[in-house]
Amino acid sequence: MREITLSQAVNEAIAEEMRRDPTVFLMGEDVAEAGTPFKVLSGLVEEFGTERVIDTPIAEPGFVGLAVGAAMTGARPIVDLMFGDFIYLVMDQLCNQAAKQHYMSGGKLSVPMVLRTNMGATRRSAAQHSQSLQALVAHVPGLKVAMPSSAYEAKGLMKTAIRDNNPVVIFEDKLMYQDKAPVPEEEYLIPFGVANVKRTGTDITFIATSSMVQVAEKAAEILAAEGISAEVIDPRTIVPLDEATLLESVRKTSRAIVIDEGHQSYGVTAEIASRLNEKAFYHLDAPVLRMGAMDVPVPFSPALEDITVPTPEGVAENARKLCAGEMIHAA
Amino acid sequence: MPHDVTMPQLGMAQDAGKIVSWLKSPGDAVDKGDALFEVETDKATMEVEAQASGFLTSVTAAEGEDVPVGAVIARISDSAEDDTLAAPAGPDDSADLPAGKSVTMPQLGMAQDSGLLVNWLKSPGDAVAADDVLFEVETDKSTMEVAAGSDGYLAATLAEAGEDVPVGGQVAIISAEKPAKTVTRSVKSALATPSAKEPEAKATVAPAKAAPKPAAPQAKGGRILASPKARRLALEQGLDLSLLAEAGHPQPYHMADLETLRAMPAKAPAQTAAAASRCLTAEIGADGFAGFADWAATAHGLTDADALLAGLAGASMSVPCVVAIARFGQQHSYAVPATRSLSGITRTDDAPDLILRDLRGTPLRHIAMGADTAPALTVMTGATGLTITLECAPDQLDAQAAITLLATFAGRMEQPLRHLL
Amino acid sequence: MAEAKTNSEDYLRMYTQMVRIRTFEDNANQLYLSAKMPGLTHMYSGEEAVAVGICEALTDNDRITSTHRGHGHCVAKGANFKEMFCELLGKEEGYCRGKGGSMHIADQSHGNLGANAIVGGSMGIATGSALRAKLLGQDDVTVCFFGDGATAQGLLYEVMNMAALWHLPVIYACENNGYSEYTKTEEIAAGSITARAEAFGIEAFKVDGQDVLAVNELTQKLVARCRKGEGPFFIELETYRYHGHHVGDINREYYRSKDEEKDWKENRDPIVRFRSWLVDQGIATEDEIEAMNAEIKKDATEAVAYAEAAKYPDVSEVDMHVYAD
Repeated sequence: MREITLSQAVNEAIAEEMRRDPTVFLMGEDVAEAGTPFKVLSGLVEEFGTERVIDTPIAEPGFVGLAVGAAMTGARPIVDLMFGDFIYLVMDQLCNQAAKQHYMSGGKLSVPMVLRTNMGATRRSAAQHSQSLQALVAHVPGLKVAMPSSAYEAKGLMKTAIRDNNPVVIFEDKLMYQDKAPVPEEEYLIPFGVANVKRTGTDITFIATSSMVQVAEKAAEILAAEGISAEVIDPRTIVPLDEATLLESVRKTSRAIVIDEGHQSYGVTAEIASRLNEKAFYHLDAPVLRMGAMDVPVPFSPALEDITVPTPEGVAENARKLCAGEMIHAA
Repeated sequence: MPHDVTMPQLGMAQDAGKIVSWLKSPGDAVDKGDALFEVETDKATMEVEAQASGFLTSVTAAEGEDVPVGAVIARISDSAEDDTLAAPAGPDDSADLPAGKSVTMPQLGMAQDSGLLVNWLKSPGDAVAADDVLFEVETDKSTMEVAAGSDGYLAATLAEAGEDVPVGGQVAIISAEKPAKTVTRSVKSALATPSAKEPEAKATVAPAKAAPKPAAPQAKGGRILASPKARRLALEQGLDLSLLAEAGHPQPYHMADLETLRAMPAKAPAQTAAAASRCLTAEIGADGFAGFADWAATAHGLTDADALLAGLAGASMSVPCVVAIARFGQQHSYAVPATRSLSGITRTDDAPDLILRDLRGTPLRHIAMGADTAPALTVMTGATGLTITLECAPDQLDAQAAITLLATFAGRMEQPLRHLL
Repeated sequence: MAEAKTNSEDYLRMYTQMVRIRTFEDNANQLYLSAKMPGLTHMYSGEEAVAVGICEALTDNDRITSTHRGHGHCVAKGANFKEMFCELLGKEEGYCRGKGGSMHIADQSHGNLGANAIVGGSMGIATGSALRAKLLGQDDVTVCFFGDGATAQGLLYEVMNMAALWHLPVIYACENNGYSEYTKTEEIAAGSITARAEAFGIEAFKVDGQDVLAVNELTQKLVARCRKGEGPFFIELETYRYHGHHVGDINREYYRSKDEEKDWKENRDPIVRFRSWLVDQGIATEDEIEAMNAEIKKDATEAVAYAEAAKYPDVSEVDMHVYAD
């Protein structure tokens, strides 16, 4: 099968959906000729014109608000938010307006829009261009949240998001845009709420999102050499969450580490760990561990930034302790 | 059509408002928009406007009264003479109250929500003078009498003796004319205002607080630390995690430790009684038995020393009985006759009533095995002589019997010749 | 007063709609004061000519976005009393099945994209609706209602900028009732309100918001120009709210005098003014108008009674409509 980059996969998904549905359009800062700073959208304006690939002023609440209104009245906008950190700027439009319209109107209005943005540290972009804010939006009822872990997921999830009748936020890891993966030529969609078991194992389950799937897979390889068999699961969407697959795995392995690049406290890892604890308690042979980013603003210095995010070695070390029955945190 | 005047809802979490003053009097002509009365809520005092034009009639709420929001307190009627009474404040509008002056529950202290109506000193229909005592009230501080406040007739009693009435709440109505019919109600049957509800809620909470909190049953030696899964599997498979703890395996226990547990020997059933068993120890100065055994063999041909030992031990019990002598893993039993005669002791296969473990000649100096199938005496070499320990379950020997048994046996072992006396 | 028109049916409808709003609000006010209506509510009384003058220039296909003071917009855009009162009381038959209430009432069937409890919160939605019309080649126009207080929100300037850049068919209708909640507008808004729009090259108009014909005439012209791609436009409508900021805002002399309120009510009431114009023009007699008023009052009374007796949504609906299928 051909291999393409995550960036190409996103571009293909959007192009295919824009060809299929004339109500789909794209808007954001420098999305047309510039194709975004990451060049993810390059070429789209040539095919679809500036009518459907719209460069906006630098006014995030404004253009997200426009997307909400366009979505409520029959269009399917894809909004490009250049950095995930700018979610803080659009909170009212996203969380008070987009997320609640369907509910507040008793099901009469809906907001079929996609907010595509990014996440991920270790790009030396410092505190305001490096955050992974998926937990913030996942907390808000009415929003769906997808976190592709490879080019394959990026394409299939984007196509599903565009066809979904709800506001969907897609977080792409900006360090993965050039990562290649096999992506079929023929059309496919990845349904929301269906986790992907990336690697099967018997001793411990790693539940990892986005680029943390790679981290978990590397940790699993390290452990395999030591005779510890790790299962790696990618939930693909954190809202909706495929709880059944996660629980089934943890009931089998009795141990789990949840890994996500958002801040560890009150985060995605905390939520998933809590559900495992509530629903698989009597199958746990060790505490479920959370591994998120350190609870610090992302520092600029490489020497500091690199230690704020989970690493394969760190995951493997924690997995060894859990499998050996060692107390990770003394009671 | 008459227009009801209600206590307005002015905020989101507001239950009631207090009427500070009426700005119009019954019978006055009012225009829509005229200020009608002043209301005080927790936030502020404000004027409430008439929502219709007409004449103010049927005012049922007096100045100073707390009225629930939504309650009808007056009417704006087409004529000043409209005396059809508005519904009384509160949901209980099933019966109209007679006209007259309200007597309310007085506020007698700063933090007082309500007063207990102790008893009525007048009956409905009675003529009352302003100074007449109408009812008695008890608060947390004292009991006091409440006077009628005006001359007239007791037209309505709105609380029963024994009921708590919120301060400011209506207790009675004094009518100027002798009423055609009187009204008797209880607070319960009337409006359940939030302030009236409160004491009830408190009353139900108080006993719960006072009840002693039972201590959570705890396993002796503290809770065993184990993973939820190890604990669940142990329960399902009938495995006892405490055995791992007793065997000294480090906690917490995980699934892997269950394998170790499965490989361990099952515990004797008596083990469970161990904790509750009696254990008494006696020390005697010298081992008098060895010399006695030699003498008995030589003088009387009683060559089986164990039979002699069984005799001394059995004689300390109620006879006849069977005593087992255990030594170096071997055990054999002797029947001790009712005569306690040492020559009458014979071997037997019957179950023992008493076990005697002879551990002289071993390095053991202390023992605590717990109760066995019968009371057990253990004889060990002591610092200067012998140490004898008696262990038994409480249901095998009561405390006095255990003390007597050990004391008697210890005495006989120290000076065996006493047995013969 | 604007010149008489030949189409008396339109005038009578405008009058009726204004009275319907006033009557609706009188009933809503009573429901709230008598503690039958939960929550928080804001009366539109006094501003009727704004909503009616504008909405009578729109079709059901045209969209509006509304505000926390939104009952007037909802009625003017064609909503029924029954579903509206049911919504205000949180009943199952409400426009939003009781999930929105007074501050989120929406009536998609008539193009009302909903009231919004965030001041200025719907400006993006209105402009986005206009963007959609342009992109999909649809000729509907969107009117964005907001108050003078909302001109302080940054979102307004972001969306007006884009609307002007892209010539979107949207009309920003600023209902200037003189007060930003409990504060005089002059204390919160520097400079001219229309100049704000003009800075983006948007044609801006100021109109007497108590004159329904003036409002309607201007709106008709601007809607027609929007349909031709000449949008966006901005209208500042000078109007007045008779009640406080919300129903419980009774003691308000610290920010607004009773004399001022009296003056607006007695001398500038949009319904009174239009009524006498209708009689003067011979479009309706006093008796006919009284009969219309009585009919509306009866409708409202029946709708209130219906809503009070209507059932609440089943508790199973609590997690329904979080996500669309």
